[in-house]
Amino acid sequence: MNPVLPRIAARNLLRQRKRTMLLAGAIAFGIMIVTLINGFAGAFIRNVSENFAYLMGGHVFVSGTEYSPSGRRISVIRDTAVIDEALASSGLRNLRVQKTSQVMATLIFEGKSIRQNLTGIDLGHSSMLRDRLMLLKGTWEDAAQPDALIISEKIAKKLNVLPGDKVIAQFQTITGQNNVGEFRIAGISVDSSFIGSIMAYVQLDYLNSLIGIRNGEYMSLGIMLDRLDRSGTAASALYVTMKSMGLQLFERKAAQDGNAMTPFQAMIREQTRERWEGTRYRVYTIDEILSQARQIVVALDTASVFILVVLFAIVMIGLSNTFRMAMFERIREIGTMRAIGVQRNEVRAMFLYEALFMALAGSVAGLLLAFLAMAGLSLITFDPQSPVFLILRNGHLSFSLPPLRALFNIALIAALTLAAVYAPANAASKLRPAEALRTVK
Amino acid sequence: MAIIELRDVKKDYLLGKVTVPAVKGVSFEIERGDFVSIAGPSGSGKTTILNMIGLIDIPSSGEVIIEGKHTGGLSDRELTRFRHEVLGFIFQSFNLIPVLTVRENVEFPLLLGKTRVPRNEWDQWIDYLLEEVGLTGWKDHKPNELSGGQRQRVAIARALITRPSIVLADEPTANLDSATGEQIIDLMKKINRELQTTFIFSTHDAKIVSIADHVIRLRDGLVIENRRKGEDVNGTESEE
Ligand SMILES: Nc1ncnc2c1ncn2[C@@H]1O[C@H](COP(=O)(O)OP(=O)(O)OP(=O)(O)O)[C@@H](O)[C@H]1O
Ligand SMILES: [Mg+2]
Repeated sequence: MNPVLPRIAARNLLRQRKRTMLLAGAIAFGIMIVTLINGFAGAFIRNVSENFAYLMGGHVFVSGTEYSPSGRRISVIRDTAVIDEALASSGLRNLRVQKTSQVMATLIFEGKSIRQNLTGIDLGHSSMLRDRLMLLKGTWEDAAQPDALIISEKIAKKLNVLPGDKVIAQFQTITGQNNVGEFRIAGISVDSSFIGSIMAYVQLDYLNSLIGIRNGEYMSLGIMLDRLDRSGTAASALYVTMKSMGLQLFERKAAQDGNAMTPFQAMIREQTRERWEGTRYRVYTIDEILSQARQIVVALDTASVFILVVLFAIVMIGLSNTFRMAMFERIREIGTMRAIGVQRNEVRAMFLYEALFMALAGSVAGLLLAFLAMAGLSLITFDPQSPVFLILRNGHLSFSLPPLRALFNIALIAALTLAAVYAPANAASKLRPAEALRTVK
Repeated sequence: MAIIELRDVKKDYLLGKVTVPAVKGVSFEIERGDFVSIAGPSGSGKTTILNMIGLIDIPSSGEVIIEGKHTGGLSDRELTRFRHEVLGFIFQSFNLIPVLTVRENVEFPLLLGKTRVPRNEWDQWIDYLLEEVGLTGWKDHKPNELSGGQRQRVAIARALITRPSIVLADEPTANLDSATGEQIIDLMKKINRELQTTFIFSTHDAKIVSIADHVIRLRDGLVIENRRKGEDVNGTESEE
């Protein structure tokens, strides 16, 4: 269309600066709020997943389940070579693996006791844990000792222990016998999490010997990838490889569709249903464990669209009235243009251009405001013990706006603006030139 | 052949339930290149007739024939295109587009579609007209920075930019002081001679009427005098 029309439209916006600022400001406000919600939702899933991945020591996990002669279900991977082989031939690159065993234990020191999840890993070599955990007291050299125990600051306070103290742990072996073990406090960590505070770390080999798992075996393998968003494809690749090696595997499907059941629910259901010989493996991802977190994100994004539309319903009334007023204010101009040779649809287009430019200017301003607000909010430092830690990134709020989401919001605003202005624009185009020219303001 | 012909043109306005006959059956012809004045007191139908010649209003009955074209029954789109190609407009209150500069206002009609001015002559033609109306030094100014007389000069340049056959001017001097008004009429007359453009302007200023080649005088929606270059075309009574 004729380039002079958008030019006039743009200048008309500038002509009525105050009015334009007001309406574009309203649009900007709406976009800002919604962008903040979207940005928060976008980062929410990533932060929760990343934080959980660190806590659990992986993005993708392999666990094994077998039945003991007495019919008890045991979580253990005995044939570690086959898992190594599967990993090697799955084609996965840039990964770090962590073998773990876990048991719930009661830690006892001088008459005080507390429940802890003892996680056995190779403390002497685990780079993953060293990256994440900051030791407040004690050293990683101490942590390399066979009977080393790392607990969080909170637990250390409750038990009133210091590095070097000997602590007794009470727990059940995998076959259900009660057992005790002795550990020496090697490190006290600042764990920026409330879940972290129930996690205590010990040497994998020592824990295995205490709970009845043979040396070299473990309960589950955590695989840390270079990127979180690769976890789904990585898990699939590993699953396919293991299947082709003839291993028994739990179906991944129940976990993948993720909506009907959580993987844990699916796991429990499957296991109560059937029995098998030997080890059956499960491959799952952090996302599947957190499928409910994903639903929160969907809910937030849906709410944001709703908020945008509701906020905008009010703005639309203002837009419509403003442009109707503009039509009357410029009635002689419109009459003049029509006389000179501007067609009806061009008059309409001129008003629509004006509305579109305003929507776009407002949207861009709204995005900028949202980014400023995000930058500001992410400067706030939260207490490491704060229960909101799961949604934080290194103790700060973080935001991640999917570009398509931003585009969708802008397109939605543009469409609603055009819809609001269509009626007055159309009325302007229908003005009869002689009438319009006769009208005195 | 006459460039404009009105045949028994009537125009009624509907005011609520009352029909107001603004033009009650008017016939006349206008010759190409003439400088034509439509005179008459307020409410006599000058604007209504100019609007019908300008194809921005449609007669209730009768025919308006312009350059041999019967305009009755044309669609809005066709009428708009015809106006753009054949007609130029000058208004009493100038009606420039406030957000465009002087030069952009003059250029504006060229951007609205095919005209008689080839693309490669635009710049030269715009400059020529700005020179002609004496506004070369003002081309980057906005209309609100100009005096009334200057604004009407811009309007004249804008009306001429498409090289129209006919320029219509409804009381072009009514918003100007008499000296400036005379200058504007002189300018229009000069261009009329130079470019052979037919000018039709309405006025109730007797002094301005006297410059016209052809005077059509109205009263109560009827032609009471139709006199071309001294000769009385219709033999109706003369008031002078
Ligand atoms: N839109 C309209 N609705 C009703 N009546 C109208 C309308 N336009 C014009 N009239 C009437 O038609 C008659 C002629 O009006 P017109 O504007 O053509 O006169 P005019 O000669 O141009 O007057 P003036 O010198 O005041 O401009 C007047 O009686 C006027 O009131
Ligand atoms: Mg009039």
